[in-house]
Amino acid sequence: MRYLLRRGGFFLLTLWAALTLNFFLPRLMPGSPLQALRDRTHNKLSPAALQELLTSYGFKPDENLAVQYVDYLGNMVTGHWGVSIGGSLGVPVTTIIGEALPWTLGLVGVTTVLAFLLGSLIGTVAGWKRGGRLDAVLPPVFVITSALPYFWIALLMILVFSVWTGGALPSDFNYETGLQPAFTGEFIGSVLRHAVLPSATILITSIGGWILTMRNNMITTLAEDYVRMGRAKGLSGRQIMLGYAARNAFLPNLSGFAMSLGFVIAGSILVEYVFNYPGLGYLLYNSVQNVDYPLMQALFMLFTVAVLVAVLACDLATVWLDPRARAKG
Amino acid sequence: MTVLPAPRIRARGGVWTAVRHNRKAMAGLILLVLFCLVAAWPGLFTSVDDPNALAYAPALQPSWDHPLGTTSLGQDIYAQLVHGTRESLVIALVAGLFATVLSVLVGVSAAYLGGIVDDILSMLTNVVLVIPAFPLIIILAKYAGQGTLGVMLFVLVITGWSYGANQLRAQALSLRNRDFLEAARVRGERRIYIIVFEALPTMTSLIVANFLGAALYSVLSAAGLQFLGLGDPNSSSWGTMLYWSQNQQALLSGIPLWALAPGLCVALLGTSFALINYAFDEIGNPALRPVRRQRVRRS
Amino acid sequence: MRRTKLVPALVALALALAATACSPSKQQPTPDSSEDIAADMGPHKQGGSVTIANVTGQTWTCQFNPFNPAVNQTSNGFVYEPLVFVNLLQDQAETPMLASSYEWNAEKTSIVFTVRDGVKWNDGQPLTADDVVFTFELMKKEPATDLYALWTGAGLQSVKGEGNKVTLSFAQAAQPYFFNFANQVVIVPKHVFGAGEAAASPATWANPNPVGTGPFKVDPCTANNIQYVANPSYWQPGKPYIQKVQYPAYLDNGPANQDLASGKAQWGSQFIPGIENFYLNKSPDNHTWSPPVTNVALIPNLDPSHAATSKLEVRQAIASAIDRARVAEIGEGGQQPAANQTGVVLPTFQKYYDGAAVASAGYDKPDAARATSLLSGLGYSPSNPLKLSVITVTGYTDWDASLAVIKQQLAPVGIELTVVDLAQQTYNERLFKGDFDLAYYGQAGGPTPYYELRQILHSANTAPLGTEATTNFERYKNPAVDALFDKYPTADDAGQVQIIKEISGFMLRDVPIIPVTESVDWFQYNTSDIRGWPSPQNPYAQPAAFNIPDVGQVLLHLYSKSAQK
Repeated sequence: MRYLLRRGGFFLLTLWAALTLNFFLPRLMPGSPLQALRDRTHNKLSPAALQELLTSYGFKPDENLAVQYVDYLGNMVTGHWGVSIGGSLGVPVTTIIGEALPWTLGLVGVTTVLAFLLGSLIGTVAGWKRGGRLDAVLPPVFVITSALPYFWIALLMILVFSVWTGGALPSDFNYETGLQPAFTGEFIGSVLRHAVLPSATILITSIGGWILTMRNNMITTLAEDYVRMGRAKGLSGRQIMLGYAARNAFLPNLSGFAMSLGFVIAGSILVEYVFNYPGLGYLLYNSVQNVDYPLMQALFMLFTVAVLVAVLACDLATVWLDPRARAKG
Repeated sequence: MTVLPAPRIRARGGVWTAVRHNRKAMAGLILLVLFCLVAAWPGLFTSVDDPNALAYAPALQPSWDHPLGTTSLGQDIYAQLVHGTRESLVIALVAGLFATVLSVLVGVSAAYLGGIVDDILSMLTNVVLVIPAFPLIIILAKYAGQGTLGVMLFVLVITGWSYGANQLRAQALSLRNRDFLEAARVRGERRIYIIVFEALPTMTSLIVANFLGAALYSVLSAAGLQFLGLGDPNSSSWGTMLYWSQNQQALLSGIPLWALAPGLCVALLGTSFALINYAFDEIGNPALRPVRRQRVRRS
Repeated sequence: MRRTKLVPALVALALALAATACSPSKQQPTPDSSEDIAADMGPHKQGGSVTIANVTGQTWTCQFNPFNPAVNQTSNGFVYEPLVFVNLLQDQAETPMLASSYEWNAEKTSIVFTVRDGVKWNDGQPLTADDVVFTFELMKKEPATDLYALWTGAGLQSVKGEGNKVTLSFAQAAQPYFFNFANQVVIVPKHVFGAGEAAASPATWANPNPVGTGPFKVDPCTANNIQYVANPSYWQPGKPYIQKVQYPAYLDNGPANQDLASGKAQWGSQFIPGIENFYLNKSPDNHTWSPPVTNVALIPNLDPSHAATSKLEVRQAIASAIDRARVAEIGEGGQQPAANQTGVVLPTFQKYYDGAAVASAGYDKPDAARATSLLSGLGYSPSNPLKLSVITVTGYTDWDASLAVIKQQLAPVGIELTVVDLAQQTYNERLFKGDFDLAYYGQAGGPTPYYELRQILHSANTAPLGTEATTNFERYKNPAVDALFDKYPTADDAGQVQIIKEISGFMLRDVPIIPVTESVDWFQYNTSDIRGWPSPQNPYAQPAAFNIPDVGQVLLHLYSKSAQK
């Protein structure tokens, strides 16, 4: 119980820190939404009218900063995220995020989980068959792939599979622009085709890390006494590999997974940018460009919450998988 | 990277011997030294002095004069690559260094000072660790004026230290009650002396590993930022080359090398750090080393 | 918006350097043959579909509120229409739209519009004078909708409807605002905007299903694409000829330009680097024509606290030293023409241009010797150069290239120019507040040089250093020039031309800004099936798809060749 309280406190503190950072940073820096809007409308329109417009959308720069801050914290927590005052002027932030979220979840989320599970599995086998052919090749190869820049792999993918093949695989956007979203084979096929290159990019760059850590954890675990005992008891190799070693070797990987979500987000921003994929990462990039405070703030909070929730979930999973952690609390 | 068990290697000579006998480490080290040479004396590798000058015909295919061709702006891609090495390497090394110093300071102080200081410092570490760094970097870099080198370094250090601090704290905690430290305490040494001269040397390999990790992180993040156009577009670096190549649609204009070559260099530099780092894991934990002679008996 | 401006790159520069002697004129628009123009006159059979490639950097929000400047380029001209269309490219040629006619009073302080009979909103209700009155009243009630500051800046005082007549009354002569209130303001239906949610917050209402009088209806809009279908009850019989318009969302120039090159999209509105190879050579049906509309200029800071740039001799020296034609040719790759010191954009506003005055002021050609002597009079020389910095926007690669050329040209006369690339936000902040020696900047324009010049020079548009100026960023103040601008609204056509020429005289004498190149509306078009495009021979509207309400005129002219059989 005390453990849970502690984790809860940590959750709130981190969230508060992230929200506070995100409130003050943009406001301390040069540029304002009004200037951005004036620039975007080529300075053709009356600044007074634009100011009015922004005000009616809830942008009140002249209000006391402390009042703004308190309002902001309250609104963030209660889900009143306001409307965009940037490129999508006037659209509720929840709508914008709601449209982008499924694409990011579907592409980045699914691929990341896939990479994690696949990587852990391969790592388990590699660690188990220590010194085997797989194990001889894997580590150096994946040390290298995990050091590759996301966007470079993305560019390479585009070059090889899109440019050189004359556009066999699409290299931008989430589906053919002419199509209407519907549960038709054509639409779903188009979505999948557009997802191939970006998800391959994420898979290639992120799977290596999981394989390596899992392999190393496996090897460390296999040297433990209880594994030897399992062998002595005459358990089958498969039972030892999965039930004894992998289960314990998996634990550090799991908490690593939660922590690494931050990097996944970083990668998704770059991947979505390169592939012009209209997900959350692309939105963040755009909102920063357009000084869109409400959208920027909501996205940043969402990213932080995502990582926090993952950390908590992994904590719980660890407790569930590892009896010792329960006692520790 | 896993938290290492207390390492067996104490002196620097030991680390060096270990590195020399590890093929991955040697491969990484050779790459790194090569990049350092290019960064220090670009003049040895190309005769072009100002790689950003628009001195040649645009979009030339690779030839003897222009080994990688020219950009659509008429710059020699190879020369840009050579001259871009310095900034990219400096970012990696300097940001990696400062981030490591910060993590040592925070992590080790937290472990040795204990109590409320530890609580505050490790809370801080965890908070920074969890807040997604890259979006924050984008926001920071975007608003801190155009990303000059200083801004870039600052941003990378601020966001890059927490992972190491966490690890160092853990290891320092495990060292805390070791005999040799106890002995020093009994000798009546000052706490700062114990930390600097007794504890830190035992953590060399973890600190080096952290430095490599931070350097890798800095290489990739800096290149990503510059690629997004958040760096100084007039500087000479691989990330800036990537920015311009994207800006000029190099892939579609039939100049793929413009984008691929700097990306490959980023990847190679990153790889060199990663290889050395991985080798350090192996050195610290011999169980991980590849088995060459006999396979482990199957049950 | 990401990299939409992007513009003629260094590419161009390099191209020009490489091709120094061999190609004298590269970027000639491809002329249509005269039969094509005759054929374009119509009428035509209906049918066909056109796809627009105009990069906006984000997916569609499916909001069509014409008062929302972030989205109105997808509704104005398509769905909503103005009272009168004013063509900037043809000396303000007018096409009556929702007003069948209008009449000024003698002092031009009041104007009576006759609202066209027989126009229906696309929900079947008739357009009435009430709707027009409502539209203008709304702007008074909701200042956020008054995007052209008609009630606050233009002196609009009342709007009255009577029968099919609508009278707008102004505090002073308002002829120059005709372009804004007749052409830029679009008329909205009272029965929609005066009811329910729309009435509660007309400025911010999403308006997902726009009810307008225009040639097209939205059906349907998704985040990735807006499809417009022809309005079957459009008030111009037989129009529009084109039955469908596809407006996909493009997040980046790359894919948009690729679709243009492949012919998948036929109507382009952004810069294409290396346009010869990338676009024009791909098909004989691919054409480009980008008419100049405003200036891109060096804005010197005239505030006395900026000792160098507030000195006339320094500005004269810069204006003399710059070889504008070369900047246009190398910096802008010949895709933009050179500007002149009067600030009158050529050839668009030819009749306002006083070539003789330019020649006698010595600005008809670059004069490095004059610049050198002006600067040496101040004690500067190449060995002891005057150090100046110029701010520009990161990512505007053509501006970087142009400034590189300018820097090269200023060095030998004794000015060392430092180019400072800034993020858009930082740049805006410093430009608006006057924190610069020199800034590279392009203004918005209007149907005559009056608009751009007034923005630049009128003291009402400036502010002290440290506070945001509206448009007069160099902080030029001259009562004589203000008086000329204030006289313009009441002058007749010849008088207005004369006033512009006098103001040009001040541009030549005081050198308040130094125009370098003329910025253009980027426009590429494919003629394999779609015909009727605006062209140099028939510049019936500004051609880029982001020009509102001009886009509506283009849509009414386009037709499909294959549908004519």
